[in-house]
Amino acid sequence: MEQEFIKPPVEVRYKEELEALKNTDTGSKPENWQMSPKAVRTFILGSSKPIVYNGKEFLVEKKYLGNDALVERCIVTLAGNRGLMLVGEPGTAKTMLSELLSAAVSGVSTNTIQGTAGTTEDMIKYSWNYALLLAKGPSREALVPAPLYVGMERGILTRFEEITRTPAEIQDSLISVLSDKVLNVPELGDSGFLFAKPGFNVIGTANTRDKGVNEMSSALKRRFNFETVMPVRDAAMEKKIIINEVNKLASEAHIAMRADEDVAEILASTYHELREGVSSYGHRIDKPSAVMSTAEAVSVYYQAMITGYYYGNEEIRMDALVQNLVGAVSKENQDDLEKVKGYFNTVIRDKSSKEGGLWKEYYEARKWLK
Amino acid sequence: MERILRSAEMAEIILLPVRHHSPACAQHVSRMIQRIRPCVILVEGPDNANPLVTAMVHEDTKAPFAIYYSYHDTTGRISEEKEHYKCYYPFLDYSPELAALRTGKALGIRTAFIDLAYGDILAASGEGKWLLKKEEEKNNYNDDYLISRNAYLQQLCEKTGMRSFDEFWEKYFELNGLEADSEKWFSDLLTYCTLARENTSQGDMQEDGCLARERFMAKQIRKYAAEAASGDGAVLVVTGGFHTPGLMALLQGEGSDSTETEVPATGGKIPEKDQGVYLMPYSMEAADALNGYASGMPFPGFYQKIWENMSESDTPYENAVLELLVSSGKETRRKEGYLSTYDEICACAMARGLAGLRGKREPGAYELLDAVLSSYVKGECNMASDTPVRILRKQMTGNSVGELCSQANVPPIISDFQSESKRLGLKCATTMETEVTLSIFSSAKHRQISIFFNRTMFLGTAFARKVKGPNLQLKKDRNLMRETWKYKWNAQVDAALIDVSVYGATIEEAATGLVKEELKKELGAMESAVLLTKVFEMGLKDQMQAVYDRVHELMLSDMDFYSIGEALKSLMMMDELSGLYNSPLEFSELIHLGCRKLITLLPSMTRIKDEDLDQCMRTLKLIYQVTGRGTEGQFAKEREAYYEALEKMSQDLEIHAGLNGCIRGILYGCGKETADQVEMVCQGYLTGTGEQLAHTAQFFRGLFFTARDLVFIGDHFVNMLDAFLHRVTEEEFMALLPELRVAFTYFTPREIDKIAGMAAALYGKGREDILKRKEILPDWYSYGKEIDAYVKSRML
Repeated sequence: MEQEFIKPPVEVRYKEELEALKNTDTGSKPENWQMSPKAVRTFILGSSKPIVYNGKEFLVEKKYLGNDALVERCIVTLAGNRGLMLVGEPGTAKTMLSELLSAAVSGVSTNTIQGTAGTTEDMIKYSWNYALLLAKGPSREALVPAPLYVGMERGILTRFEEITRTPAEIQDSLISVLSDKVLNVPELGDSGFLFAKPGFNVIGTANTRDKGVNEMSSALKRRFNFETVMPVRDAAMEKKIIINEVNKLASEAHIAMRADEDVAEILASTYHELREGVSSYGHRIDKPSAVMSTAEAVSVYYQAMITGYYYGNEEIRMDALVQNLVGAVSKENQDDLEKVKGYFNTVIRDKSSKEGGLWKEYYEARKWLK
Repeated sequence: MERILRSAEMAEIILLPVRHHSPACAQHVSRMIQRIRPCVILVEGPDNANPLVTAMVHEDTKAPFAIYYSYHDTTGRISEEKEHYKCYYPFLDYSPELAALRTGKALGIRTAFIDLAYGDILAASGEGKWLLKKEEEKNNYNDDYLISRNAYLQQLCEKTGMRSFDEFWEKYFELNGLEADSEKWFSDLLTYCTLARENTSQGDMQEDGCLARERFMAKQIRKYAAEAASGDGAVLVVTGGFHTPGLMALLQGEGSDSTETEVPATGGKIPEKDQGVYLMPYSMEAADALNGYASGMPFPGFYQKIWENMSESDTPYENAVLELLVSSGKETRRKEGYLSTYDEICACAMARGLAGLRGKREPGAYELLDAVLSSYVKGECNMASDTPVRILRKQMTGNSVGELCSQANVPPIISDFQSESKRLGLKCATTMETEVTLSIFSSAKHRQISIFFNRTMFLGTAFARKVKGPNLQLKKDRNLMRETWKYKWNAQVDAALIDVSVYGATIEEAATGLVKEELKKELGAMESAVLLTKVFEMGLKDQMQAVYDRVHELMLSDMDFYSIGEALKSLMMMDELSGLYNSPLEFSELIHLGCRKLITLLPSMTRIKDEDLDQCMRTLKLIYQVTGRGTEGQFAKEREAYYEALEKMSQDLEIHAGLNGCIRGILYGCGKETADQVEMVCQGYLTGTGEQLAHTAQFFRGLFFTARDLVFIGDHFVNMLDAFLHRVTEEEFMALLPELRVAFTYFTPREIDKIAGMAAALYGKGREDILKRKEILPDWYSYGKEIDAYVKSRML
């Protein structure tokens, strides 16, 4: 099958699964939701038994690994009267979770505002088609709806990515919409009130490393339920995530390679130990200041895999892994590289002498750390 | 539940599995008792507590309370150290055991505990296991950990999507137990416990003393069943669910003889006098599993509400959740100020929504926590913003404290406490805090009261606290002649006293016992001296010698210079005060020893680090003082050794500059060195290269600490200081400034003034001139700078 996008949106990628869940759903659902909260939970957290639909069996895989209770709270928040705000360190899969939620609840994950320093109010609410505006004057026809408008009009979720990157006064344009669920378009006169349809809500994501860039006002904070997404604290789970994500990326890019368990374990433990500052043998480690997120680990692995695929007999090599690791850690601060070197010279050295095999190869690849 | 049918020689036996602390369990247990009407109810618990049952079910006794077991291993049966052991068996209103005892009383049914006595359990346990755990935490008789830690459970939680055993328990046993039929409920529980037991190794059970206890319990059950054989009614046995399958197997076993030999005879091996068992009031905080005390059920305050609501409402959980959302919201509002009623509405909706999503009948403890986390915490959840969650947790723990009826037997230490406070005229009947000022040195009675207060404080009772008065431990306020104390009696004092009753029958004995316990620990000379000051204050004359000997021993073995220095200081202080405190001990020998030890260790201190300088200098001064003591010149020899050590140290070229200054000062003071010699050393630093020059400031600091009078002899030192200031750059000066500031703090203001006068004279000024400075306006300054630049450019 010819693929049209680099990364298809969630609702396309899991089309059949969503379809099956929707049609076998027996739970009661909030108005305008595509499926019941229970089915949303199953979509994100997976099911233990396969779902039979149209004569086919679907085993719903677990798509979000980490805190199940958090996902449940998110679903309940979306069914309620408040927006959902996901905050956390970069690379903790906030965006992925918000995409999964939107796709399951509303059937689309693309109704999105991408927050930047240059985001303006008309990118959030609406703007005008000026030719039509001049020809016909202000009318609904001449109005170009932006994601918030679309969400209210159709009763679907609006995602607001990186909300703290936008200036505070722009963020605040959400306040009255979130509390009154009505958007006033003064240009349209008396008919300029857009009342939100049921099913509308906002999922925001914010990066805690950006804190202080554009602090949210407390008035806006009050309109959201906050969920703090923590980095994965369990090396085994991190390994699982790396394998899942890398395989997904590889199949999208038509790379006929699968992630290697042992390599993933080495990378996961490296990231885990550098983040926590202590090794599994109890060494104390200097923590690099760069973000050591699972998402970073996935991209390091994937890069090394591509290198192996095109240049190295479809085999992933430790040299490539370490080379990509260098690129990932020496982003912000040169000291970080020194810290990683130190980590190799103590922890990896000990592991290579104790475990041997791949670890040894990994230790020998330290020559690329420069 | 399991039934073992009636036979010719035994009545019917019904085994009920329970989890200690569980509202649903307690409710089903009472229901079962009412339905079955057994002739005797047997409850898991050490059988030496049987005499306490009457007081436990008395209507004036309010839960939470605990049975306190103590055991003094005088015969060395458990270990050679012959230690003291204690443990608690806490009861809440919703403990099934207590519910069984209470229902038994209401229906006039005989009740009894059937487990091994506490000492025997200890003897049956492997080292470091269960009740013999060496951790600091309180040991708890509650053995729910048996059903909540195993591989089977882990998988079960994963399958059901539960976070922990407690959440699993709440969903399937508490919430579903509200309407379930009792027989069905018990049979579900038994299934779970059987699986938990199958996934626990025999070795673990053996080591925890589990198997020995079960054998004993089975024997007891048989005994009661045989007694009841002729009468009517069954024998109902309430034990932890983990034991039920084990008991079942034992009771249905081939015969009673096979295991007989291994059963320790009741009370036979452990002498009665070594065991103590009392009731004591307990608190919700102590009962909460989350406080790390033991493996109870978490959130006792929350489940207490459930228990209270159970009989009145169909939705006890929903009511409790709402109640706690409101009360924690109120508290958050009071403390943080931001929470709105709408937040509370959202939280309530969240709790309900989560319950629906998770398939629970009603929102429980975990939905409550999730609701507060998501609706009350604003912004990123971290230490600064999670106050609402912490408030909620506290409220879920609850704060109620139990009470005992007046018939409850109290240990002798409490009667001793009461009679002592009566004798000393202390007001213990009110709950108001009373303040009393004691002239400890002039009134014998006041001194006695002070001793009493000090002892209760040492025992950790929180009965009295000293608000003012000499503090011998920190060596502060020693000039004060009076002590001011505040004291207040409450039930917690009694609880704390029972807690230490294992050490003795009177306050004095217990304090003595605890001191002995302290002495066994690994102490340094400093800690032991502090302990000696406590013993000193507590007036424990018999113990003084023991502690004294221990300090002696530790002083010999301790190699830490500062620790010995501190100990020496404490000893000097006690020596000075021993007349006032009327103490029989002679401290001079110890002081002599400490002093000698310090001098021996002294040369090793030559190259200290900067941060140790202050302490080291003070210790040097202390030795100087000590060696100057004594009328008969008993320290004269030491003084010589001291000077010798100092001289040796000062010859080390890598000596710390500050210490060098300090030593020179002392040597100058005693005439071993002349002012010129000191000056030369100083010049050495002054004319030294970079680093060494910087050390001059430290040298001055050390020197001024011990011999500041040097500055006023002639004008050499002022000249030298002047030269020093000339040599350093502004940047260096800024770096050295803190050190210099410290150096000059040793002078009195008058002396500083004098030095300033001398410095001014160097430049032909009077001391007034340097006090007044003319103001320079910024524009003058910039104008001057401009002229400077202009001149410079013209001159080039």
